[in-house]
Amino acid sequence: MPVDKKLPIMIVDDYNTMLRIMRNLLRQLDFENVEEATDGGAAMSKLQMGNYGLVISDWNMQPVTGLELLKQVRADAKLKGIPFIMVTAESKTENIIAAKQAGVSNYIVKPFTAETLKTKMESVLGAF
Amino acid sequence: MITLPPRLEDAQEYLDKVIVSLRALDRREKQPLVGILEYLSEYIRTTRGEVADLRSSSAGPVILSQASDELEEIVTETARATNSIMSVAEDIEELARQVDPPLSTNLQAAATRIYEACGFQDITGQRITKVVRAVQHIDQKISLLAKLCGTEMAAAESADNADGPAKSDNDLLNGPQIAAAAQSQDEIDRLFNS
Repeated sequence: MPVDKKLPIMIVDDYNTMLRIMRNLLRQLDFENVEEATDGGAAMSKLQMGNYGLVISDWNMQPVTGLELLKQVRADAKLKGIPFIMVTAESKTENIIAAKQAGVSNYIVKPFTAETLKTKMESVLGAF
Repeated sequence: MITLPPRLEDAQEYLDKVIVSLRALDRREKQPLVGILEYLSEYIRTTRGEVADLRSSSAGPVILSQASDELEEIVTETARATNSIMSVAEDIEELARQVDPPLSTNLQAAATRIYEACGFQDITGQRITKVVRAVQHIDQKISLLAKLCGTEMAAAESADNADGPAKSDNDLLNGPQIAAAAQSQDEIDRLFNS
């Protein structure tokens, strides 16, 4: 089944410049239905009220980190199936393990390329 | 019952009293002990002096606080510059939509490379935040040490007081000001022309 480019995507990062970068790169991939949040708590509120097909989140945020957001999403009956890609500068083995154990769908380390973003998105959504 | 003194200042005073008492004793065996205690007392005095200098000199709390402010300003300035660069990349994408391939493809690819490169601001911002936390941690530790040494005193008036007259040409070397404190070109022109 082809990927619906109107898929609502939630992007989460405490740096506004990174949100802008992500939005522009997603637009280049023809994904324009993008919502933003600057921390995990705000993201979770929006996720619970909406109907999102993908979450792309930073890890290092306060007061709710990306890992805590991931755990909350996976613990929520309505949200637990949403693909969740972590995009973060955290690159230690223990981070990858923790994210995998929490149920992350894929993991991108910063700085990243547009090609990497596309590849990881295709791995969780299907080819587009 | 002897209560152990909680502050280094009191410990030194206590030690000095013990030394005086021991000196008064007429026993040869006391000498090594007196020597050691005198050494400890002098060591404590020197340490307290060093900590007091650290807190009262211009290399004290003001410098650390300024360092944090400067670092946070870097994050703000780089964010501003990054947003400007991305606006240009967005303009390039708009132009790409108005021309034909291969020019449109090349322009799109150029804009993509700009977006990817702009990710530097996120990385540098996170690194700087780590440094700011380290500086704040050091400042807290120095304050605690000063308190333990009994040298907690109001910071001396900084020789770098911005409102005071410069003492030498070196005092005029301040570098860029924090945005909130910086004077605009208009304000400088008014001052210059007054």
